[in-house]
Amino acid sequence: MKCILNTGRTVPQGVSVEHKGADVYRTIASSCFLNPVDMMILGIEDGDRIRVTTPTGHIVLTARPAEGVARNEIFVAIGPYANHIISSETHGTGMPDFKSQRVDVEPTKEPLKSVGELMEAIGGLRYDHT
Amino acid sequence: MIIHDVICPFCGCLCDDLELECEGGKIIKVQNGCALAESTFMTDTRLPAPIRRTESGWEEISYNEAIKETAEILQGADRPLLYGWSSTHGEAQSVGVHIAELIGAVIDNTSTVCHGPSILAIQEVGHPGCTLGQVKNRADVIIYWGCNPIEAHPRHMSRYTTYATGFFVPDAQRERTVIVVDTRRTDTAGIADEFVQIEHGGDYAVLSALRAIVRGKASVIPAKVAGVSKEQLIRIAEICKTAKFGAIFFGLGLTMSRGKYKNIRNAIELTDELNRHTKFVISPLRGHGNVYGSNEVFTWMTGYPFAVDFARGIAFYNPGETTAVDILRRGECDAALIVASDPGANFPRAAAAHLAKIPTVVIDPHVNATTALARIHIPCTAAGIDAAGTAYRMDGVPIRLKKVIDRGYPDDAEILKKIYDRLNGGKGP
Repeated sequence: MKCILNTGRTVPQGVSVEHKGADVYRTIASSCFLNPVDMMILGIEDGDRIRVTTPTGHIVLTARPAEGVARNEIFVAIGPYANHIISSETHGTGMPDFKSQRVDVEPTKEPLKSVGELMEAIGGLRYDHT
Repeated sequence: MIIHDVICPFCGCLCDDLELECEGGKIIKVQNGCALAESTFMTDTRLPAPIRRTESGWEEISYNEAIKETAEILQGADRPLLYGWSSTHGEAQSVGVHIAELIGAVIDNTSTVCHGPSILAIQEVGHPGCTLGQVKNRADVIIYWGCNPIEAHPRHMSRYTTYATGFFVPDAQRERTVIVVDTRRTDTAGIADEFVQIEHGGDYAVLSALRAIVRGKASVIPAKVAGVSKEQLIRIAEICKTAKFGAIFFGLGLTMSRGKYKNIRNAIELTDELNRHTKFVISPLRGHGNVYGSNEVFTWMTGYPFAVDFARGIAFYNPGETTAVDILRRGECDAALIVASDPGANFPRAAAAHLAKIPTVVIDPHVNATTALARIHIPCTAAGIDAAGTAYRMDGVPIRLKKVIDRGYPDDAEILKKIYDRLNGGKGP
Protein backbone atom coordinates (compact mmCIF):
# COMPACT_ATOMS: atom_id res chain seq x y z
CA MET A 1 0.00 0.00 0.00
CA LYS A 2 1.40 3.39 -1.01
CA CYS A 3 1.40 5.88 1.90
CA ILE A 4 3.00 9.07 3.15
CA LEU A 5 5.20 8.73 6.24
CA ASN A 6 4.57 11.44 8.82
CA THR A 7 6.77 11.70 11.91
CA GLY A 8 6.49 13.75 15.09
CA ARG A 9 6.95 13.97 18.81
CA THR A 10 4.82 12.07 21.32
CA VAL A 11 4.81 12.15 25.11
CA PRO A 12 5.99 8.51 25.45
CA GLN A 13 8.80 9.22 22.96
CA GLY A 14 9.84 12.28 24.98
CA VAL A 15 9.68 10.41 28.28
CA SER A 16 12.01 7.66 27.03
CA VAL A 17 14.20 9.76 24.73
CA GLU A 18 17.27 9.58 26.97
CA HIS A 19 16.94 5.80 27.30
CA LYS A 20 17.36 4.75 23.71
CA GLY A 21 18.86 1.39 24.59
CA ALA A 22 15.79 0.41 26.62
CA ASP A 23 13.09 -1.97 25.37
CA VAL A 24 10.43 0.64 26.12
CA TYR A 25 12.07 3.10 23.70
CA ARG A 26 12.25 0.44 21.00
CA THR A 27 8.53 -0.29 21.43
CA ILE A 28 7.64 3.42 21.20
CA ALA A 29 9.93 4.44 18.35
CA SER A 30 9.07 1.37 16.25
CA SER A 31 5.28 1.76 16.57
CA CYS A 32 3.62 2.75 13.33
CA PHE A 33 0.14 4.27 13.53
CA LEU A 34 -2.24 3.58 10.65
CA ASN A 35 -5.83 4.36 9.87
CA PRO A 36 -7.90 1.30 10.90
CA VAL A 37 -9.40 1.07 7.39
CA ASP A 38 -5.91 0.83 5.90
CA MET A 39 -5.08 -1.90 8.45
CA MET A 40 -8.18 -3.81 7.35
CA ILE A 41 -7.16 -3.52 3.69
CA LEU A 42 -3.64 -4.74 4.55
CA GLY A 43 -5.19 -7.61 6.55
CA ILE A 44 -3.29 -6.79 9.73
CA GLU A 45 -4.24 -6.52 13.40
CA ASP A 46 -3.00 -4.31 16.22
CA GLY A 47 0.54 -5.47 17.07
CA ASP A 48 1.29 -7.17 13.74
CA ARG A 49 4.56 -6.40 11.99
CA ILE A 50 4.75 -4.33 8.81
CA ARG A 51 7.61 -3.73 6.42
CA VAL A 52 7.86 -0.10 5.31
CA THR A 53 9.95 0.50 2.20
CA THR A 54 11.35 3.60 0.50
CA PRO A 55 14.03 3.98 -2.19
CA THR A 56 16.46 4.46 0.74
CA GLY A 57 15.72 1.09 2.36
CA HIS A 58 13.22 -0.73 4.51
CA ILE A 59 12.37 -1.08 8.18
CA VAL A 60 10.16 -3.43 10.18
CA LEU A 61 7.65 -1.68 12.47
CA THR A 62 4.73 -2.68 14.67
CA ALA A 63 1.31 -1.63 13.36
CA ARG A 64 -1.01 0.25 15.71
CA PRO A 65 -4.45 1.56 14.83
CA ALA A 66 -5.17 5.32 15.17
CA GLU A 67 -8.49 6.85 14.10
CA GLY A 68 -6.88 10.29 13.79
CA VAL A 69 -4.41 9.25 11.11
CA ALA A 70 -5.71 9.93 7.62
CA ARG A 71 -6.09 7.17 5.03
CA ASN A 72 -2.85 6.43 3.14
CA GLU A 73 -0.80 8.17 5.82
CA ILE A 74 1.29 6.49 8.52
CA PHE A 75 2.68 8.10 11.67
CA VAL A 76 5.89 7.09 13.47
CA ALA A 77 7.46 8.95 16.42
CA ILE A 78 10.67 10.77 15.48
CA GLY A 79 13.72 8.60 16.00
CA PRO A 80 16.07 6.04 14.45
CA TYR A 81 13.33 3.77 13.08
CA ALA A 82 11.63 6.40 10.91
CA ASN A 83 15.00 7.89 9.99
CA HIS A 84 16.25 4.53 8.78
CA ILE A 85 14.12 4.97 5.63
CA ILE A 86 13.87 8.76 5.25
CA SER A 87 15.88 10.25 2.40
CA SER A 88 18.67 12.66 3.33
CA GLU A 89 17.77 14.98 0.43
CA THR A 90 16.98 18.48 1.74
CA HIS A 91 16.01 20.30 -1.49
CA GLY A 92 18.51 23.04 -0.69
CA THR A 93 16.92 23.91 2.67
CA GLY A 94 18.88 21.76 5.13
CA MET A 95 15.63 20.03 6.12
CA PRO A 96 14.90 16.45 4.99
CA ASP A 97 11.33 15.30 4.21
CA PHE A 98 10.62 14.09 7.74
CA LYS A 99 6.89 14.49 7.21
CA SER A 100 6.39 13.69 3.55
CA GLN A 101 8.39 10.59 2.71
CA ARG A 102 6.56 8.33 0.23
CA VAL A 103 6.58 4.73 1.45
CA ASP A 104 5.23 1.31 0.57
CA VAL A 105 3.62 -0.66 3.43
CA GLU A 106 3.16 -4.44 3.47
CA PRO A 107 2.60 -7.07 6.17
CA THR A 108 5.62 -9.09 7.26
CA LYS A 109 6.69 -11.68 9.83
CA GLU A 110 10.24 -10.29 10.07
CA PRO A 111 11.42 -9.34 13.58
CA LEU A 112 11.94 -5.80 14.92
CA LYS A 113 15.49 -4.58 15.16
CA SER A 114 16.90 -2.87 18.25
CA VAL A 115 18.33 0.67 18.13
CA GLY A 116 21.77 -0.90 18.65
CA GLU A 117 21.26 -3.15 15.61
CA LEU A 118 20.17 -0.18 13.49
CA MET A 119 23.31 1.75 14.47
CA GLU A 120 25.52 -1.31 13.88
CA ALA A 121 24.01 -1.63 10.40
CA ILE A 122 25.62 1.72 9.55
CA GLY A 123 29.04 0.98 11.04
CA GLY A 124 28.40 1.72 14.72
CA LEU A 125 29.05 -0.35 17.82
CA ARG A 126 26.39 -0.33 20.51
CA TYR A 127 27.24 0.60 24.08
CA ASP A 128 24.67 -1.00 26.36
CA HIS A 129 23.53 1.43 29.01
CA THR A 130 19.90 2.32 29.67
CA MET B 1 14.79 19.89 50.82
CA ILE B 2 12.29 21.53 48.49
CA ILE B 3 13.60 23.77 45.70
CA HIS B 4 11.08 26.26 44.30
CA ASP B 5 10.82 27.92 40.89
CA VAL B 6 12.91 25.28 39.14
CA ILE B 7 13.12 25.54 35.33
CA CYS B 8 12.48 22.40 33.30
CA PRO B 9 15.08 22.20 30.51
CA PHE B 10 13.24 19.65 28.33
CA CYS B 11 11.17 21.63 25.83
CA GLY B 12 11.05 25.19 24.56
CA CYS B 13 8.40 26.18 27.14
CA LEU B 14 11.11 26.20 29.85
CA CYS B 15 8.37 26.08 32.51
CA ASP B 16 9.76 27.97 35.50
CA ASP B 17 7.35 26.97 38.26
CA LEU B 18 8.47 23.45 39.13
CA GLU B 19 9.04 22.32 42.69
CA LEU B 20 11.67 19.67 43.24
CA GLU B 21 12.13 17.64 46.37
CA CYS B 22 15.72 16.53 46.84
CA GLU B 23 17.11 14.11 49.38
CA GLY B 24 20.68 12.85 49.71
CA GLY B 25 21.79 14.40 46.42
CA LYS B 26 18.88 12.85 44.54
CA ILE B 27 15.68 14.29 43.15
CA ILE B 28 12.83 12.32 44.65
CA LYS B 29 9.76 14.29 43.60
CA VAL B 30 8.76 16.70 40.82
CA GLN B 31 5.70 18.91 41.26
CA ASN B 32 3.90 21.07 38.69
CA GLY B 33 5.81 19.45 35.83
CA CYS B 34 4.42 17.40 32.93
CA ALA B 35 5.35 13.79 32.22
CA LEU B 36 8.36 14.99 30.21
CA ALA B 37 9.64 17.08 33.13
CA GLU B 38 9.17 14.22 35.54
CA SER B 39 11.21 11.83 33.43
CA THR B 40 13.86 14.51 32.77
CA PHE B 41 14.51 14.97 36.47
CA MET B 42 13.63 11.55 37.87
CA THR B 43 15.09 9.02 35.42
CA ASP B 44 18.33 10.81 34.63
CA THR B 45 20.73 7.93 33.91
CA ARG B 46 24.21 9.02 32.85
CA LEU B 47 27.20 7.53 31.16
CA PRO B 48 29.49 6.98 34.20
CA ALA B 49 32.85 7.95 32.60
CA PRO B 50 34.35 8.86 29.21
CA ILE B 51 34.55 5.91 26.83
CA ARG B 52 36.59 5.22 23.70
CA ARG B 53 35.85 2.75 20.94
CA THR B 54 38.72 0.38 20.19
CA GLU B 55 39.02 -2.54 17.80
CA SER B 56 37.98 -4.92 20.57
CA GLY B 57 35.10 -2.86 21.98
CA TRP B 58 34.56 0.05 24.36
CA GLU B 59 37.04 1.07 27.06
CA GLU B 60 36.81 3.66 29.82
CA ILE B 61 39.33 6.49 29.63
CA SER B 62 40.11 9.54 31.77
CA TYR B 63 38.66 12.99 31.07
CA ASN B 64 42.17 14.29 30.35
CA GLU B 65 42.80 11.56 27.82
CA ALA B 66 39.39 12.10 26.19
CA ILE B 67 39.91 15.86 25.96
CA LYS B 68 43.44 15.46 24.56
CA GLU B 69 42.30 13.00 21.89
CA THR B 70 39.30 15.17 20.96
CA ALA B 71 41.59 18.17 20.46
CA GLU B 72 43.91 16.06 18.31
CA ILE B 73 40.99 14.83 16.19
CA LEU B 74 39.73 18.39 15.63
CA GLN B 75 43.24 19.75 15.03
CA GLY B 76 43.94 17.13 12.40
CA ALA B 77 40.67 17.60 10.50
CA ASP B 78 40.35 19.55 7.26
CA ARG B 79 36.58 20.02 7.46
CA PRO B 80 35.31 19.44 11.00
CA LEU B 81 31.60 19.67 11.83
CA LEU B 82 30.46 20.86 15.27
CA TYR B 83 26.81 19.95 15.68
CA GLY B 84 24.06 19.92 18.31
CA TRP B 85 23.99 22.52 21.10
CA SER B 86 20.24 22.63 21.82
CA SER B 87 20.15 20.78 25.14
CA THR B 88 22.84 22.78 26.83
CA HIS B 89 23.27 26.35 28.08
CA GLY B 90 24.48 29.43 26.24
CA GLU B 91 27.82 29.29 28.03
CA ALA B 92 28.70 25.98 26.31
CA GLN B 93 27.26 27.16 22.99
CA SER B 94 29.48 30.22 22.97
CA VAL B 95 32.64 28.15 23.56
CA GLY B 96 31.51 25.96 20.67
CA VAL B 97 31.39 28.98 18.36
CA HIS B 98 34.88 30.04 19.51
CA ILE B 99 36.22 26.54 18.68
CA ALA B 100 34.54 26.66 15.26
CA GLU B 101 36.13 30.00 14.47
CA LEU B 102 39.54 28.88 15.71
CA ILE B 103 39.73 25.71 13.61
CA GLY B 104 37.67 26.85 10.60
CA ALA B 105 34.85 24.40 11.28
CA VAL B 106 31.19 24.31 10.31
CA ILE B 107 28.99 24.79 13.37
CA ASP B 108 25.30 23.92 13.14
CA ASN B 109 22.57 23.44 15.71
CA THR B 110 19.48 21.25 15.88
CA SER B 111 17.21 23.95 14.48
CA THR B 112 18.60 22.74 11.15
CA VAL B 113 16.16 19.77 11.43
CA CYS B 114 13.54 21.66 13.45
CA HIS B 115 12.66 25.32 12.89
CA GLY B 116 15.53 26.16 10.51
CA PRO B 117 12.99 26.74 7.71
CA SER B 118 11.06 29.09 10.05
CA ILE B 119 14.23 31.17 10.42
CA LEU B 120 14.69 31.25 6.64
CA ALA B 121 11.14 32.58 6.27
CA ILE B 122 11.66 35.13 9.05
CA GLN B 123 14.80 36.32 7.25
CA GLU B 124 12.65 36.87 4.16
CA VAL B 125 9.62 38.61 5.64
CA GLY B 126 10.22 39.29 9.33
CA HIS B 127 8.67 37.97 12.53
CA PRO B 128 5.52 39.62 13.88
CA GLY B 129 5.76 37.85 17.25
CA CYS B 130 5.46 38.61 20.95
CA THR B 131 6.24 37.02 24.29
CA LEU B 132 4.08 34.25 25.68
CA GLY B 133 2.98 36.60 28.46
CA GLN B 134 1.25 38.82 25.89
CA VAL B 135 -0.53 35.81 24.43
CA LYS B 136 -1.61 34.64 27.86
CA ASN B 137 -2.99 38.01 28.89
CA ARG B 138 -4.52 39.18 25.60
CA ALA B 139 -5.18 36.50 22.99
CA ASP B 140 -8.80 35.50 22.42
CA VAL B 141 -8.09 33.48 19.26
CA ILE B 142 -5.36 30.84 19.22
CA ILE B 143 -4.34 28.86 16.14
CA TYR B 144 -2.14 25.77 16.42
CA TRP B 145 -0.99 24.98 12.90
CA GLY B 146 0.93 21.78 12.16
CA CYS B 147 1.76 21.21 15.80
CA ASN B 148 0.54 19.07 18.65
CA PRO B 149 1.34 20.81 21.94
CA ILE B 150 -0.42 18.17 24.05
CA GLU B 151 2.35 15.75 23.04
CA ALA B 152 5.32 18.03 22.37
CA HIS B 153 4.76 20.98 24.75
CA PRO B 154 2.32 19.50 27.27
CA ARG B 155 1.91 22.65 29.43
CA HIS B 156 1.74 25.23 26.64
CA MET B 157 -2.05 25.25 26.67
CA SER B 158 -2.39 25.42 30.45
CA ARG B 159 0.28 28.07 30.95
CA TYR B 160 -0.32 30.37 27.99
CA THR B 161 -3.40 29.63 25.91
CA THR B 162 -6.48 27.40 26.13
CA TYR B 163 -6.66 26.97 29.90
CA ALA B 164 -4.59 29.94 31.10
CA THR B 165 -6.38 32.77 32.86
CA GLY B 166 -5.16 36.06 31.40
CA PHE B 167 -5.51 39.69 32.50
CA PHE B 168 -7.86 40.53 29.62
CA VAL B 169 -9.08 36.94 29.26
CA PRO B 170 -10.32 36.07 32.75
CA ASP B 171 -12.47 33.11 31.67
CA ALA B 172 -10.04 31.49 29.27
CA GLN B 173 -11.98 28.37 28.39
CA ARG B 174 -15.05 30.38 27.38
CA GLU B 175 -13.35 33.43 25.94
CA ARG B 176 -10.57 31.87 23.90
CA THR B 177 -11.38 30.27 20.55
CA VAL B 178 -8.88 27.55 19.67
CA ILE B 179 -8.37 26.51 16.05
CA VAL B 180 -6.20 23.51 15.18
CA VAL B 181 -4.95 22.84 11.66
CA ASP B 182 -3.35 19.46 11.03
CA THR B 183 -3.32 16.46 8.73
CA ARG B 184 -3.93 14.21 11.76
CA ARG B 185 -6.80 14.40 14.23
CA THR B 186 -4.45 14.69 17.21
CA ASP B 187 -5.36 15.00 20.88
CA THR B 188 -4.85 18.76 20.49
CA ALA B 189 -7.36 18.72 17.62
CA GLY B 190 -9.77 16.93 19.96
CA ILE B 191 -10.09 19.98 22.24
CA ALA B 192 -10.24 22.60 19.47
CA ASP B 193 -13.31 24.75 18.79
CA GLU B 194 -12.52 24.36 15.10
CA PHE B 195 -10.46 21.52 13.67
CA VAL B 196 -9.27 22.00 10.11
CA GLN B 197 -8.08 18.67 8.69
CA ILE B 198 -6.07 19.32 5.58
CA GLU B 199 -4.72 16.91 3.02
CA HIS B 200 -1.04 16.09 3.30
CA GLY B 201 1.11 18.82 1.78
CA GLY B 202 -1.85 21.22 1.50
CA ASP B 203 -0.68 23.85 4.00
CA TYR B 204 0.56 26.33 1.43
CA ALA B 205 -2.69 26.19 -0.53
CA VAL B 206 -4.85 26.59 2.59
CA LEU B 207 -2.75 29.53 3.83
CA SER B 208 -3.05 31.17 0.39
CA ALA B 209 -6.82 30.64 0.39
CA LEU B 210 -7.14 32.24 3.83
CA ARG B 211 -5.05 35.20 2.68
CA ALA B 212 -7.34 35.67 -0.32
CA ILE B 213 -10.47 35.52 1.84
CA VAL B 214 -9.07 37.98 4.39
CA ARG B 215 -8.29 40.28 1.43
CA GLY B 216 -11.95 40.13 0.38
CA LYS B 217 -11.36 37.83 -2.60
CA ALA B 218 -13.38 34.82 -1.40
CA SER B 219 -15.02 34.59 -4.82
CA VAL B 220 -11.84 33.15 -6.34
CA ILE B 221 -11.65 30.25 -3.86
CA PRO B 222 -12.89 26.85 -5.11
CA ALA B 223 -15.36 24.75 -3.11
CA LYS B 224 -12.52 22.76 -1.51
CA VAL B 225 -8.87 23.61 -0.90
CA ALA B 226 -6.62 20.67 0.07
CA GLY B 227 -9.62 18.88 1.53
CA VAL B 228 -10.93 21.91 3.47
CA SER B 229 -14.35 23.29 2.55
CA LYS B 230 -14.69 26.90 1.43
CA GLU B 231 -17.37 27.39 4.14
CA GLN B 232 -14.92 26.41 6.87
CA LEU B 233 -12.19 28.62 5.43
CA ILE B 234 -14.55 31.61 5.36
CA ARG B 235 -15.63 30.84 8.94
CA ILE B 236 -11.99 30.66 10.11
CA ALA B 237 -11.12 33.90 8.33
CA GLU B 238 -14.06 35.61 10.05
CA ILE B 239 -13.05 34.31 13.49
CA CYS B 240 -9.56 35.69 12.89
CA LYS B 241 -10.70 39.07 11.55
CA THR B 242 -13.02 39.65 14.48
CA ALA B 243 -10.51 38.57 17.12
CA LYS B 244 -9.32 41.18 19.61
CA PHE B 245 -5.86 39.61 19.60
CA GLY B 246 -4.96 36.48 17.67
CA ALA B 247 -1.91 34.26 18.03
CA ILE B 248 -0.73 31.62 15.58
CA PHE B 249 1.63 28.92 16.83
CA PHE B 250 3.10 26.63 14.23
CA GLY B 251 5.17 23.49 14.38
CA LEU B 252 7.11 21.08 12.26
CA GLY B 253 3.96 20.27 10.28
CA LEU B 254 4.83 23.42 8.36
CA THR B 255 8.64 23.35 8.44
CA MET B 256 9.08 19.72 7.38
CA SER B 257 6.29 19.42 4.81
CA ARG B 258 6.42 20.16 1.13
CA GLY B 259 7.19 23.84 0.64
CA LYS B 260 9.13 24.00 3.91
CA TYR B 261 10.15 27.64 4.56
CA LYS B 262 7.71 28.90 1.94
CA ASN B 263 4.87 27.53 4.12
CA ILE B 264 6.11 29.66 7.01
CA ARG B 265 6.51 32.69 4.78
CA ASN B 266 2.90 32.28 3.70
CA ALA B 267 1.76 31.94 7.33
CA ILE B 268 3.66 35.11 8.27
CA GLU B 269 2.10 36.93 5.33
CA LEU B 270 -1.37 35.75 6.45
CA THR B 271 -0.53 37.26 9.84
CA ASP B 272 0.46 40.47 8.07
CA GLU B 273 -2.86 40.43 6.21
CA LEU B 274 -4.82 39.92 9.44
CA ASN B 275 -3.08 42.91 11.02
CA ARG B 276 -5.00 45.12 8.57
CA HIS B 277 -8.11 44.10 10.56
CA THR B 278 -6.92 43.40 14.10
CA LYS B 279 -3.82 42.50 16.14
CA PHE B 280 -2.33 39.13 15.16
CA VAL B 281 1.00 37.50 16.00
CA ILE B 282 2.77 34.33 14.92
CA SER B 283 5.52 32.28 16.57
CA PRO B 284 7.12 28.88 16.17
CA LEU B 285 6.65 26.30 18.91
CA ARG B 286 10.35 25.69 19.47
CA GLY B 287 11.27 22.17 20.50
CA HIS B 288 14.34 21.44 22.58
CA GLY B 289 14.93 23.33 25.81
CA ASN B 290 17.53 25.80 24.60
CA VAL B 291 17.41 25.42 20.82
CA TYR B 292 16.29 29.04 20.57
CA GLY B 293 19.35 29.96 22.63
CA SER B 294 21.64 28.30 20.10
CA ASN B 295 20.17 30.58 17.43
CA GLU B 296 20.62 33.61 19.68
CA VAL B 297 24.20 32.76 20.65
CA PHE B 298 25.23 31.89 17.09
CA THR B 299 23.65 35.10 15.81
CA TRP B 300 25.22 37.47 18.27
CA MET B 301 28.61 35.84 17.78
CA THR B 302 28.64 35.18 14.02
CA GLY B 303 25.71 37.07 12.51
CA TYR B 304 23.96 33.85 11.50
CA PRO B 305 21.55 31.63 13.48
CA PHE B 306 22.68 28.16 12.33
CA ALA B 307 24.75 26.38 9.64
CA VAL B 308 27.75 28.71 10.04
CA ASP B 309 30.85 27.76 8.05
CA PHE B 310 34.20 29.23 9.16
CA ALA B 311 36.28 27.43 6.48
CA ARG B 312 36.98 30.76 4.75
CA GLY B 313 38.16 32.38 8.00
CA ILE B 314 34.96 34.39 8.15
CA ALA B 315 31.40 33.35 8.95
CA PHE B 316 29.58 32.03 5.86
CA TYR B 317 25.97 30.85 5.86
CA ASN B 318 24.20 28.98 3.11
CA PRO B 319 21.47 26.58 4.32
CA GLY B 320 21.27 23.60 2.00
CA GLU B 321 25.05 23.69 1.66
CA THR B 322 26.42 24.42 5.14
CA THR B 323 23.65 22.59 7.01
CA ALA B 324 24.68 19.47 8.95
CA VAL B 325 22.51 16.95 7.08
CA ASP B 326 23.85 18.16 3.72
CA ILE B 327 27.49 18.12 4.85
CA LEU B 328 27.10 14.59 6.21
CA ARG B 329 25.06 13.41 3.20
CA ARG B 330 27.83 14.54 0.87
CA GLY B 331 30.43 12.84 3.08
CA GLU B 332 32.17 16.18 3.32
CA CYS B 333 33.28 16.45 6.94
CA ASP B 334 36.27 14.43 8.15
CA ALA B 335 35.64 14.79 11.90
CA ALA B 336 32.62 15.64 14.03
CA LEU B 337 32.01 16.98 17.52
CA ILE B 338 28.43 16.33 18.63
CA VAL B 339 27.30 18.24 21.72
CA ALA B 340 23.97 17.87 23.58
CA SER B 341 22.07 16.18 20.77
CA ASP B 342 21.53 12.86 19.01
CA PRO B 343 21.92 13.00 15.22
CA GLY B 344 22.35 9.21 15.18
CA ALA B 345 18.65 8.94 16.01
CA ASN B 346 17.38 12.17 14.47
CA PHE B 347 19.14 12.40 11.10
CA PRO B 348 18.24 10.31 8.06
CA ARG B 349 20.28 7.11 7.96
CA ALA B 350 22.60 8.16 5.11
CA ALA B 351 23.61 11.32 7.01
CA ALA B 352 24.05 9.53 10.36
CA ALA B 353 26.08 6.77 8.69
CA HIS B 354 28.86 9.20 7.81
CA LEU B 355 29.44 9.85 11.53
CA ALA B 356 30.61 6.23 11.89
CA LYS B 357 33.08 6.63 9.02
CA ILE B 358 34.92 9.59 10.57
CA PRO B 359 36.27 10.24 14.07
CA THR B 360 33.20 11.49 15.95
CA VAL B 361 33.27 12.73 19.53
CA VAL B 362 30.07 13.05 21.58
CA ILE B 363 29.80 15.34 24.61
CA ASP B 364 26.45 14.54 26.20
CA PRO B 365 25.24 13.47 29.64
CA HIS B 366 23.41 10.44 28.27
CA VAL B 367 24.20 7.41 26.15
CA ASN B 368 22.25 7.87 22.94
CA ALA B 369 22.12 6.45 19.43
CA THR B 370 25.08 8.62 18.36
CA THR B 371 27.23 6.98 21.06
CA ALA B 372 27.29 3.83 18.93
CA LEU B 373 28.60 5.83 15.96
CA ALA B 374 31.26 7.69 17.96
CA ARG B 375 34.92 7.11 18.68
CA ILE B 376 34.74 8.92 22.04
CA HIS B 377 31.81 9.82 24.30
CA ILE B 378 32.48 12.27 27.14
CA PRO B 379 29.72 12.52 29.78
CA CYS B 380 28.98 15.90 31.38
CA THR B 381 26.46 17.80 33.43
CA ALA B 382 22.91 18.27 32.20
CA ALA B 383 22.02 21.97 31.99
CA GLY B 384 19.19 22.72 34.39
CA ILE B 385 19.78 19.63 36.52
CA ASP B 386 23.38 19.70 37.75
CA ALA B 387 24.57 22.80 35.88
CA ALA B 388 23.35 26.40 35.89
CA GLY B 389 23.35 28.51 32.76
CA THR B 390 21.33 30.67 30.40
CA ALA B 391 18.62 29.25 28.16
CA TYR B 392 16.16 31.01 25.85
CA ARG B 393 12.48 30.19 25.99
CA MET B 394 10.64 29.65 22.69
CA ASP B 395 9.57 33.33 22.65
CA GLY B 396 13.15 34.58 23.02
CA VAL B 397 13.05 35.30 26.75
CA PRO B 398 16.35 34.34 28.44
CA ILE B 399 15.90 32.34 31.62
CA ARG B 400 18.58 31.25 34.07
CA LEU B 401 18.59 27.45 34.45
CA LYS B 402 19.29 26.33 38.00
CA LYS B 403 21.71 23.78 39.30
CA VAL B 404 19.54 21.68 41.60
CA ILE B 405 21.90 18.83 42.50
CA ASP B 406 25.58 17.95 42.16
CA ARG B 407 26.35 14.64 40.49
CA GLY B 408 30.10 15.10 40.21
CA TYR B 409 30.26 15.54 36.45
CA PRO B 410 32.20 18.36 34.73
CA ASP B 411 30.20 21.07 32.98
CA ASP B 412 30.24 20.70 29.17
CA ALA B 413 31.35 24.36 28.91
CA GLU B 414 34.41 23.45 31.01
CA ILE B 415 35.20 20.42 28.84
CA LEU B 416 34.86 22.57 25.71
CA LYS B 417 37.09 25.30 27.20
CA LYS B 418 39.80 22.70 27.86
CA ILE B 419 39.50 21.50 24.25
CA TYR B 420 39.75 25.12 23.08
CA ASP B 421 42.83 25.70 25.24
CA ARG B 422 44.57 22.69 23.72
CA LEU B 423 43.70 23.86 20.22
CA ASN B 424 44.91 27.35 20.98
CA GLY B 425 48.23 26.49 22.59
CA GLY B 426 46.99 27.05 26.13
CA LYS B 427 45.30 30.40 25.57
CA GLY B 428 41.60 30.47 26.44
CA PRO B 429 38.77 31.92 24.37
